[in-house]
Amino acid sequence: MSERPGSELSEFTGAFVAEADELLANATTQLLAAEEAGRKDQPHPRGVREAFRAVHTIKGLAGMVGVEPIVAVAHRMEATLRRADRTATRLSQEALDLLLEGLRTIQRAVRALAEGRPIAQPPPALLEGLEALDDGAQVPAEGSPSTLAADPLLEKLGPADREQLRQGLAEGRRAVRADFFPSPERAAAGLNITSVRERVGAHAEIVKVLPLAVPVSPDAPAGLGFALILLTGEDDAALGATYQAPAGAVRSLSEPRPVTPAGGAPLWPGSDVAEDAEPLHRGVVRVEVGRLDETMERLSTVIVTRYRLAKAAADLAARGADTRELQLILRENARQLRDLRSAILRVRMIRVTELLERVPLILRNLRRTTGKKVRLETDAGAAELDKTVAERIFPAVIHLVRNAVDHAIEAPAERLRLGKPEEGLLRIRCVERSNAELELSVTDDGRGIDREQVARRAGVAVPRTDAELLQLICRPGLSTREEATTTSGRGMGMDIVRKIAMEQLGGELSLRTEPGRGTTFTMRVPLTISIVDAFSFECAHQRFVAPVATIEEIVEVSQQQIVRGPNPAAAVAAPARVGIMERRGQPVPLVRLDAIFTLPDAAEHAPKVLVVRRGGAPLGFMVDRMLGQQEVVVRPLDDALVRVPGVGGSTDLGDGQPTLVLDLPALADYFTQVQEGVARA
Amino acid sequence: MSLHVVFKVAGAEYAMPASEVLQMESFEGATPVPGAPPHVAGIVQVRGKVVPVVDLRRRFGLAPQAPTLDSRVVIGLHGDRAVGLLVDSAREVVGVADDQVLPPPPIVVAEAGGLVRAVAQLGKRLLMLIDFPKVIGDEVHHGA
Repeated sequence: MSERPGSELSEFTGAFVAEADELLANATTQLLAAEEAGRKDQPHPRGVREAFRAVHTIKGLAGMVGVEPIVAVAHRMEATLRRADRTATRLSQEALDLLLEGLRTIQRAVRALAEGRPIAQPPPALLEGLEALDDGAQVPAEGSPSTLAADPLLEKLGPADREQLRQGLAEGRRAVRADFFPSPERAAAGLNITSVRERVGAHAEIVKVLPLAVPVSPDAPAGLGFALILLTGEDDAALGATYQAPAGAVRSLSEPRPVTPAGGAPLWPGSDVAEDAEPLHRGVVRVEVGRLDETMERLSTVIVTRYRLAKAAADLAARGADTRELQLILRENARQLRDLRSAILRVRMIRVTELLERVPLILRNLRRTTGKKVRLETDAGAAELDKTVAERIFPAVIHLVRNAVDHAIEAPAERLRLGKPEEGLLRIRCVERSNAELELSVTDDGRGIDREQVARRAGVAVPRTDAELLQLICRPGLSTREEATTTSGRGMGMDIVRKIAMEQLGGELSLRTEPGRGTTFTMRVPLTISIVDAFSFECAHQRFVAPVATIEEIVEVSQQQIVRGPNPAAAVAAPARVGIMERRGQPVPLVRLDAIFTLPDAAEHAPKVLVVRRGGAPLGFMVDRMLGQQEVVVRPLDDALVRVPGVGGSTDLGDGQPTLVLDLPALADYFTQVQEGVARA
Repeated sequence: MSLHVVFKVAGAEYAMPASEVLQMESFEGATPVPGAPPHVAGIVQVRGKVVPVVDLRRRFGLAPQAPTLDSRVVIGLHGDRAVGLLVDSAREVVGVADDQVLPPPPIVVAEAGGLVRAVAQLGKRLLMLIDFPKVIGDEVHHGA
């Protein structure tokens, strides 16, 4: 690390970017929830509070990294949010717009920081707007919850907390206070404030956690404890049972009740210490994907070593040694490596719900630009998918959402005329299939796709089935709209969705549409994919790719530069498959790829040589010509019929035909083994 | 009574249960896989999946023939394996009743190397019911 003095800072920047991304997403979600609640004329104190916390944290972190433009915006947003939280006011639409714009501005700054670009100053209009909000702030009328008990603890709650309690009571839930006193015995039983919060939180909404100071007693050996202020539909006994609470620890706050001395007085009145001390996501580690890739690469080297071990064992056995014990260990070892590999793959999985968190914001903008009313329903359960797959599939989801709002869902007036609910419905469903596939569908209850119109526009016969219709609308550049709209242009983009689902992810895309009733697009994609940066090249008219990481160098050689030795075993007419060339004062052995693979029509070109290194010694593979370099999705070739040495998998270069992904170092090993076998025989 | 997919290889008619057939595709060439057994024509991509294709002419020890417009790939399922069979043509699905299925004459079994598991007699037509797992070499499917 010492050779790069700036490395600590840049590492911190990476962490900041990751953390800020998450906080921004959270703040956006919370503000949208507050906006949604506001539409139903309800306050949403929790949302405002969470948004405040996120912005507050962003400000602190940005200050540490020294990104002043972020600090400036966050500071003003924080002021607005803090006031709304303290006074339990509903945020006005104007305030929400400015706050969301503020989040977007911060997001842009974070992006710029991540990409090493200069960070623009925040637009003065935004800062002024936020400040103007503060000036015109009005103080709301404050009242205490009428149905709450007279527990003095309640006086330590802020107005927002009380508003939250009042709202909960209005919804028919009960306000409950649950006390917890940490002790060594409880800790041994897995009970600490964190686990109690989790357990209780599963049955109740935690409004506030207040620290308590009580006289030292057998029940409270430290004289310290916590009071959890809750909203719940469950009874006290059930709540108490979740954390083995002693009798009397859980009490209702919904009816008047005298305060027992055991309850004590809050240690730090109104303080958030207990809550602030806890991280937002317990037991969660954020990791850059690059590190996971590195782990996977390390594992690959272990697997290569294992192959060598297996080969050494086989050699021993061939020499008559008893290797049964060794074989057993090797088998066990192979199984462990497989398990380890799938464990690492699991680490890369993210929840689909997390992926879909960004959809509400996009939908909000669509609602505004189109003037349509759309409700979003998402149902992703606990489905997970690989981070890389998630990143690739998300643009396709966005395309489908845009198309649905823009083209499928009718304007409110038209919907009413058609006897449909004024508000359109957009449903995103995601289920994991048993065969390591994920099915993600986007459904709308709009007008359905007009076959005749699509056919007319494409100038072809009317498609008879949904599958034919899908093929038609996935034609590049096909437009189904007279005029371009600002959000999704001319309704293009289905070709992009198809490309993502089928070519980039190796999945499927299907369509079901009913005139007047709605449309469902379904994508089926693998849960994990492996993507590598690869060179593509041609040899004997067949295309291949090989991961860039496996190739040390690409050299152009002329026939004159290749020195050929004797090869008594080869047929006279066959071109020599092995040669030597000079590279930086070192002889490098060359082998013809077409000869190893016995490809037909082996031409004598001035070849390109791909140099790989195996166990320290370089080896060059001669191929006919290089085609390019690109990222490819590698699909494993699992079937026993096509599991052959040197072929790591297959990919699609976009022509619908599989292209073999070569593992040249493994091929080099295999070739050497074959040669040794020939030499031994 | 069960539905069978009928296909032709070198003039003879073969069949396998439709329930074991995933789909049929016209043959537009396969990507050869160097080092694979000679009867493996290569790999093809079907609905985003990569599937090996067994050339039945070669598998059955018959004279190879260049693919024609009639050539089809019948994609069969065995457990979680999907393997395509390259055949001269495939354009028929027939119902075969249980009592129409006869054990193959031993001499045929010996000659066919166990690749035919039964013969279905439909009137004058004789369909050889292939042993799909054997054809795709499932007995060697225990890893490298």
